[in-house]
Amino acid sequence: MGILVQIEHVDGQVADGAHELLAMARSLGGTVEALVCAKDATTVAAIADELDADTVVAVADAVLADYVPAAYLTCLAQAMEDRAPDLVLLSYSTAGIDLAGGVALKSGREMVCYATAIERDGAVLTVKSQVYSGKLTASTTLPLPGIVVVMPGAIKAPERAGGSAPVEELVVDLSVSQSIRHVENLLPDSDGIDLTKAERIVCVGRALGGTDKLPLAEALAVKLGAEIAGSRPVIDAGWLPRARQVGKSGTKVKPKLYLMAGVSGAPEHLEGMQDSDLIIALNSDEQAPIFRKAHYGAVCDMFEVLPALTEKLG
Amino acid sequence: MQTLLLWIVTLATLVVFAWRFGTRLQPLFSARPVNRLDRPGERFSGMLGDIGLHRRMLRFTYSGVLHAMIFSSFLVLFTAIIESFGSVLFPGFTLAPVGGETWIAILQETFALLILVGLGMAAYQRLIRKPARFEGSRKGDAILIYVLATGIVASMLLEFASAIAITGTPNPYRPVSSLLAALLGQVGVDGHAAETLHMSFYWAHVLIILGFLAYIPGSKHRHMFLAAPNIFLRPLHPKGQLPAVPTLEDEKTPSGIQSFSDFTWKDLLDPLTCTECGRCQSVCPAYAAGTPLSPKKLIMDLRDGMSTGEAHLPIVGGVISEDVLWSCTTCRACMEVCPVHIEHVPKIVEMRRTMVEAGTLEPMLQDALTSFQSQGNSFGKPAKQRARWIKGLSFKPVDARNQPVDVLWFVGDFASFDARAQELTRMVAELLHQAGVDFGILYDGERNSGNDVRRAGDEGLFELLAQQNIDTLAGCEFNRIMTTDPHSLNALKSEYPALGADYDVVHYSELLLDLISAGKLTPKQGAAAQVTYHDPCYLGRYNGGFDAPRDLIAALGHDLREMPRNRKNSFCCGAGGGRIWMDDSAFHERPSENRIKEALALGDVSYFVVSCPKDVVMYTAAIQNLGVEDRISVRDLAELVTESLE
Amino acid sequence: MKITVILRLEPVLTEELELTNDARDVDREWIGLDMNQFDDQALEQAILIKEQTGAEVVAIAIEDEGTDRMLKTALARGADTARLIPMDEYDVESRSSRAMAPIYAMAIRELEPDMVLVGVLSNADIYGELAPYLAAHLGWPQASAISQVTLGTGQVTLRQEYAGGRSARLALQLPAIAGLQTAAQPPRYVAGSKLRDLLKVQIPELNIEAVPGADLAEATTLALPDMSGAAEMIDGDAQEIANAIHALLEEKGFV
Ligand SMILES: Cc1cc2nc3c(=O)[nH]c(=O)nc-3n(C[C@H](O)[C@H](O)[C@H](O)COP(=O)(O)OP(=O)(O)OC[C@H]3O[C@@H](n4cnc5c(N)ncnc54)[C@H](O)[C@@H]3O)c2cc1C
Ligand code: SF4
Ligand code: SF4
Repeated sequence: MGILVQIEHVDGQVADGAHELLAMARSLGGTVEALVCAKDATTVAAIADELDADTVVAVADAVLADYVPAAYLTCLAQAMEDRAPDLVLLSYSTAGIDLAGGVALKSGREMVCYATAIERDGAVLTVKSQVYSGKLTASTTLPLPGIVVVMPGAIKAPERAGGSAPVEELVVDLSVSQSIRHVENLLPDSDGIDLTKAERIVCVGRALGGTDKLPLAEALAVKLGAEIAGSRPVIDAGWLPRARQVGKSGTKVKPKLYLMAGVSGAPEHLEGMQDSDLIIALNSDEQAPIFRKAHYGAVCDMFEVLPALTEKLG
Repeated sequence: MQTLLLWIVTLATLVVFAWRFGTRLQPLFSARPVNRLDRPGERFSGMLGDIGLHRRMLRFTYSGVLHAMIFSSFLVLFTAIIESFGSVLFPGFTLAPVGGETWIAILQETFALLILVGLGMAAYQRLIRKPARFEGSRKGDAILIYVLATGIVASMLLEFASAIAITGTPNPYRPVSSLLAALLGQVGVDGHAAETLHMSFYWAHVLIILGFLAYIPGSKHRHMFLAAPNIFLRPLHPKGQLPAVPTLEDEKTPSGIQSFSDFTWKDLLDPLTCTECGRCQSVCPAYAAGTPLSPKKLIMDLRDGMSTGEAHLPIVGGVISEDVLWSCTTCRACMEVCPVHIEHVPKIVEMRRTMVEAGTLEPMLQDALTSFQSQGNSFGKPAKQRARWIKGLSFKPVDARNQPVDVLWFVGDFASFDARAQELTRMVAELLHQAGVDFGILYDGERNSGNDVRRAGDEGLFELLAQQNIDTLAGCEFNRIMTTDPHSLNALKSEYPALGADYDVVHYSELLLDLISAGKLTPKQGAAAQVTYHDPCYLGRYNGGFDAPRDLIAALGHDLREMPRNRKNSFCCGAGGGRIWMDDSAFHERPSENRIKEALALGDVSYFVVSCPKDVVMYTAAIQNLGVEDRISVRDLAELVTESLE
Repeated sequence: MKITVILRLEPVLTEELELTNDARDVDREWIGLDMNQFDDQALEQAILIKEQTGAEVVAIAIEDEGTDRMLKTALARGADTARLIPMDEYDVESRSSRAMAPIYAMAIRELEPDMVLVGVLSNADIYGELAPYLAAHLGWPQASAISQVTLGTGQVTLRQEYAGGRSARLALQLPAIAGLQTAAQPPRYVAGSKLRDLLKVQIPELNIEAVPGADLAEATTLALPDMSGAAEMIDGDAQEIANAIHALLEEKGFV
């Protein structure tokens, strides 16, 4: 079985998700080809060095210096045509969302998203995925050739396997995909804090309801010597600054302690914190998906437990 | 000469008075219309009762009594004023033929003393006792008035006294003045000196009166003139019926409160009438909880905004801040207690409507209202799950949409969706079933009644919800509606009639009582407990449902101990008017906790009995927060009945 | 300038979900539908653009239980027109993005907007997102996970969000499609009076001749998630929970 893996990177820095895809591809058996799009051959080579693949299919073009949906779409589509893989794997990321649907339609392949596991039985793949914000799981028989978009964290990538896969250049005419132009990169606006460095995090979710009750969480954070963080709705509402967002579009954290209150545990949030050493979740809904990821959980009203715990900490 | 002079100063004063009063009343003439002249007889007799008998005033005994003293004295001493002005303005005029120097004189003397005592009590109260309700009232204004009033009475007595001193013969009808005259005699004032003094006191008397008159239009003592009309013009529609958005004929969508002319004239008369007595503030749960709302301040701020140059400020969010407006629980305690029948709640709601139209909402309230729009309930739960509480019943309630019933049970949101309240809802269902009541529910055809949506300020959403319910009910056959929820009760009973739907609506307390009286449910006697009972605002104050719950408690053999604030004076749990959907961290002390403390202070009550699903939730939480679960627990009426049947 | 916003209904997830007997779908008996929250953001963004530039906003939706109400909400919020695409519930096997994409694409061809805004994702199926499918059907440029939209002449500038809080500005030639993640402002509240005024309004239909796309609905079964390996639950009242967490933190050496 031929598997083509879309490699995401930022300026040559390979995304965790890409390693995870390779690991998943390996677990399925067959030949693994990695598609690398980068600005020049040097970057390609540096990236290729890090990948555990059988072949690296590379497009080097100045247009690809930054992620541009149209250009990347053209590359992936052409790679799929050239290589005719049985299975294409992408990460559930911004690029994954942008690209998967397009190539699925263009190639007429079936596609399954939000995959947390893929099982192979000969030529038949069964994809397990999350649906309804993780409240249900779906199990789908995917006919090949197919495409799967995999949830970050679905599989653990081995420590730096590295590789010496031969690089095969793919020539793509990118002049046809100029409908999208990269203008500039924007850096996260931060207030000087770096959540990735925090060893302890207290995270609040939408249940906070406003800044009025923020002091309840802040008081606990102070007592614990923890940083305060929020789920995306908390940031969007302006209750906490953007630099304090954990999750897919925020920061990915791995603290020793992650105490969360009023966060439902949507996959996009889990992605940013599921590797934390100790996860304690407070939520009023016993069915909240977070209780499937947390190590400890309590069904409660956070506005009662947070102050009680702060007080207990003296 | 004297006559001319008095004519000049009197007319000048009247001009000043009229001008000062007129400018203040000016805004009323460009305000929106509202009919307050219907049922004149009822208006008049009510007004007489409130003024003549000081009905509302006497609820605060000390102030009530002193006000009654001052007020009655004022009426009597008015004769002296007439005499003073009349005798000089129209030389030859005198009250003597009708008893001005006999029985009127003795009355004047007596009431002069009485008013001085009253003024003393008032000053003592204002300066020494300082009840909290005066917090925020203008002290200077009050004191100036005491000084002026004392001056009027004192100068009057001294004028009489110096007149007596001229001749030196005491007047038996004027014992006080005669006594003063004797004192004057002792210090050597008699004959000519007394004449000069008499002239001086006369002028002092009339000038202070004129000064008082000129001052009054800018003082809270305006109420001397406005209290009576304001009480006469009080609302007579059902208490539970909020006035609709006042729209002019040529207006498609109401503009909300952008300027003072968007209020009705009665809304503007109210602030001018306010006496700053602070009674409203003293009973307001929001004020007690430490929110920025004081109903008194609200009325005073409107008054000041109306008359001073604050026209540049927006009214909503300027003259009155948004926080203040969102703090109100619409409990109506303020309106119930206000001696001059000022209507706080309709103004607050009208200003909330303005915020809602502009889309500036308290964030949690926005979530709740959005959920009403999409699902018809505030819980964000699918409308289809409304009747899910019936899972676990020993029978399946009739769908009143398909089958005629005697009693149509309008369940209400809280009773349907809140997990704790659901248990009680099931309990009520089993009781009705057991008593053989022919009842049914609307299943997912029911929507929130809209009572609190309306009070939160979303008039359109209220109409949508109400209309949906009215349409659904129109397709059902039933004799009466029963609900456990006072908020739904208020909407169905008091609000829907304005939309053309009239029902016979009963609270479950009444129905359960009927069932017991009719022997359909037989409580065991003997399990008596000491209990207290909380009157929900929308059952009691709004709809007069004070007795059925008490009778029911008695029928079950319990011993009811009343809290100090009971019946009309009940203290709101804090959940009304949409507050239940808002952030309550603005409350320094939650009203519900304040209330539990009141119950605990009774000493030995074991149950805090409630008759509203929201109260069950509010007070259970309050007891937990206070950590007094071992001393008192919440019991819903349905629970009490069920327990006594087992 | 004309913007089309696509609005979709999705199951309300605040309650327990139950499955149909064949485990192919959630049991709709108790489930309510509400606007997809990302579509809500897309709608808000469209209205914001309208307010800034005077663009015309057309909201469209495929008929389902409650679409009418949703489209009226869009009108109340400021959309200029709303169009309902009729669909008989028995005619469609699946309403996934992939299945519905050809229908939306045809509607867009009909409406000829300069810009299509739609929520970045929908929770209700596993067959991918609508925006990229539409782009493929129409051959238009597309970008998803968008948090800022600046409409210019001939092009639109989008802010696209990536992992780690990074983002970039992209310029797309019009007509283009954006999968909205967040609008510049949270969705506004519309007072009930606006909805009431629309009560009698008839939402015009937009009849589309298109065949739904195929997906794997037939090859999918749903299940309630396996709860093994889930959190160890701490029971009790607030104080007991606080005590237990405190003990746990002590045990793990955090205090
Ligand atoms: C492309 C993309 C990127 C995204 N990136 C991120 C990201 O980086 N980070 C992120 O967090 N999300 C992200 N999201 C959003 C994500 O899908 C969810 O919408 C979000 O995580 C939900 O946040 P929440 O859990 O705080 O809110 P909700 O899902 O609304 O959860 C609130 C929870 O609080 C509970 N609760 C309510 N009241 C109480 C109480 N009194 N006490 C205790 N619990 C209570 C409720 O039961 C509920 O479970 C992204 C989405 C997309 C599409
Ligand atoms: S209605 Fe109740 S809460 Fe509102 S101002 Fe009056 S007393 Fe206060
Ligand atoms: S509104 Fe009524 S109760 Fe309140 S201060 Fe004024 S007069 Fe007194």
